[in-house]
Amino acid sequence: MWFAAVIERAGLRMVEPAPERRMVERMAAGDGDALRELYDVHARAVYSLAVRILRSQSDAEDVVQEVFAQAWRNAARYDATRGTVAGWLLMQAKSRSIDRLRARRARPEQADDEAPRDVADSSAGPEIQIVRADQASRVRQALDELPILQRTALELAYYEGLTHVEIADHLEQPLGTIKTRIRQGLLKLREALSASELIGTKRVETSE
Amino acid sequence: MSADVNDHEMWRERAAIYALDALTGEERREFETHLQTCLECTAELLTLRPAADAIAQTVPQLDPRPELRDRVLSSVLGEKRTAMSAAAPAPATRVVPTPSPMRWLPIAATVLLAVGLGVYANGLRGRVSRLESELDQARAQSTALQARVTRAEATLASAQTQLNSAQSQLAVFAAPDSRRLTLAAQKGAPEGVAGRADWSPSRGLALAVSNLPAPLAMRDYQVWLLTSGAPVSAGLLPKDAVDGRTVVFNVPSGAPVPIGVALSEEPEGGVAQPGNRIYLVGMMARAQ
Repeated sequence: MWFAAVIERAGLRMVEPAPERRMVERMAAGDGDALRELYDVHARAVYSLAVRILRSQSDAEDVVQEVFAQAWRNAARYDATRGTVAGWLLMQAKSRSIDRLRARRARPEQADDEAPRDVADSSAGPEIQIVRADQASRVRQALDELPILQRTALELAYYEGLTHVEIADHLEQPLGTIKTRIRQGLLKLREALSASELIGTKRVETSE
Repeated sequence: MSADVNDHEMWRERAAIYALDALTGEERREFETHLQTCLECTAELLTLRPAADAIAQTVPQLDPRPELRDRVLSSVLGEKRTAMSAAAPAPATRVVPTPSPMRWLPIAATVLLAVGLGVYANGLRGRVSRLESELDQARAQSTALQARVTRAEATLASAQTQLNSAQSQLAVFAAPDSRRLTLAAQKGAPEGVAGRADWSPSRGLALAVSNLPAPLAMRDYQVWLLTSGAPVSAGLLPKDAVDGRTVVFNVPSGAPVPIGVALSEEPEGGVAQPGNRIYLVGMMARAQ
């Protein structure tokens, strides 16, 4: 069982659901319906992540558009052994959102990097729904249970795209402390993730 | 020695920060260079990355506006259509303007204009045919590239398979509680048989044997964890792993702490308790 978990944790997923993978293969072959299906399955997660990082509905919508345009263009290069389709799309969503955030910070006249912190979720309109799959809720719970400094350090890195040096500066903590907290926090998320994967895994073979 | 340990700690910390994309540019380059020679950090990173990526799953889920779907799909799919029609060469005759405004021009001017248009159309024809031949070339290159991509993908897939196997072995070898033991040939064992194992209570057993002949028909080699009570089966040795390949076995659930590892020859499919053909035995050294 741990073997499957190692593979899973290593991101070398051999167990990508076949319909997901086929969707991307069809996209690579130019099948527009496959893109529609991909959008229907994943747009919500992509949009939600972009909103969380950018705190802006219109910027998040632009990111959704870019992510799916890129998925369409690069479908042929998608490699199922590197991670799930969702992971692939979310990674794009994150890096594009962070790029925008940095560009926004670089424009001094906007100076809004601190501003809309708390109003954000309301921008998405009245249809807010919170859906948490088993794994997501375990990771969420693990994140919530982290000591505040660990959690804040992780969140500043992930959602704000700050380096550890910037985080130490921002939190007025010694750099060494921040480095240690980041590692401790991530290790706990890793535990939570592998626990949920073990529960979901039913391998009984005794060898590879 | 302690410098090494500190160094090691530093890289482990960097692996975590790297997984979160939060190293500074210079540190990131240093770490990527280090990764090329350090399997342990590579393994560490491979397990931390999914943890960092999982943060994405924890954000509150919001529904995008329904209009966004049409906007995204029509822009993405429309983009492709216009790209294709732009690539298709237009017929040369279409680009010559219709002559209707010429009626009020003097004849000479009309002739000049017609000559000019002819030259223009010729130029366009030349350009179209150049574009056509470029397109043909591009198509040929794309076929060749596609073949290369296919080959590269096959190589990558085989590398991934090797990496998987290396990863699982590494997990056992690198586990902090890992213990190594040497398996010695027993009386009646085939000539020259030897074995080496790494045992970790948390990660399992990695075993490599050498010089073992392929099992006879209807027979298998079975691997055992020797305990203070009855031996516990760790599983069957894959038939192609009789000489050199390292195989990783799960920790049988609820298995007591083993005091050794053994390999025996048994009826195909394995048995509950080892018979009398025990070929290899290794005992665990006392914990330091």
